[in-house]
Amino acid sequence: MTALLAIVLTGLGTYGMRAVFIVALSRKPFHPMALRALEYVAPAVMGALVVSMLITPAGEMALGVPELGGLASAALVAARTRNHIAALSVAMVVFWLLR
Amino acid sequence: MSPDTRQGIVDALPMFIPAIPFALVFGIVVGESGVPALIGWSSSPIVFGGAAQITLLTLLGEGASVAAAATAALIVGARHLLYSVTVAPRFQNQPRWFRWVGPYVLIDQVFALTAVDRNHSDEGFRHYFLASGFTFWTLWMSFTGLGLFVGPIIPSEWQLSFAAPVLFMGLLTVSIDRWQKALVAVVSMIATAALADLPNRSGLLIAALIGVALGLLMERWRR
Repeated sequence: MTALLAIVLTGLGTYGMRAVFIVALSRKPFHPMALRALEYVAPAVMGALVVSMLITPAGEMALGVPELGGLASAALVAARTRNHIAALSVAMVVFWLLR
Repeated sequence: MSPDTRQGIVDALPMFIPAIPFALVFGIVVGESGVPALIGWSSSPIVFGGAAQITLLTLLGEGASVAAAATAALIVGARHLLYSVTVAPRFQNQPRWFRWVGPYVLIDQVFALTAVDRNHSDEGFRHYFLASGFTFWTLWMSFTGLGLFVGPIIPSEWQLSFAAPVLFMGLLTVSIDRWQKALVAVVSMIATAALADLPNRSGLLIAALIGVALGLLMERWRR
């Protein structure tokens, strides 16, 4: 039962974090400057997510030649094709070949 | 079915593939945690966030207290605060029910899709958001259930989980439309690597905040 309690608390907290600004700022007009600043959240968080997914549970970076090759080819293909699924497919092939 | 609904489903389906290894890892973690399988799986509908779920079940399995495990899982998920404030403007001209239902499916992938695909009317945004969100939801419920059984039998040397950072690398690149965003992304990546040994992946959040602060500074210099 303690496990279920922890799950419910985490669920409430997660929903709360996702909902808080959507609900609280539903009427308040956004300053144009704030809107421009918010545009940087996506690149900042996605960049941090990419690297964070390469960190082992022990807190070390798992970043060798296969990983770098995979990430670089993902960025290259995505920049050329604007297609993230094409980038994913090519990058996984590069990663497996370099391994 | 509106074109935006269909587009949301079509965009979500291939993006789920990199999440499959996580669903399987989740199955392994639940199995090793000693938590009954059904209760472990219930975190999928209750939390609906892979990283937070894996953190939570791992810590519960290691004997952490309820408060410690839930706190760590919430720190892992703290980036959702940034998602909430970022998409808030798109929720202003929406029906009230959508402001309460939408956040439930505001996961990494849905947020990334809204950053990549910005040319929607209010109604189109709502259809696209809900369609992609609940497509992910349905698949996550199914595959985390499946993961309880097949997670332990997938060979780990395939390293399928590398698909996740690669997907977000692709999404990140597609979403960049000016050099300032590229610089913010690079700085945030370096900062995350530098903060890799902070507990509970809190380096992710700090690095993201550093990146946003840099973006703000550059916006001030422009004027």
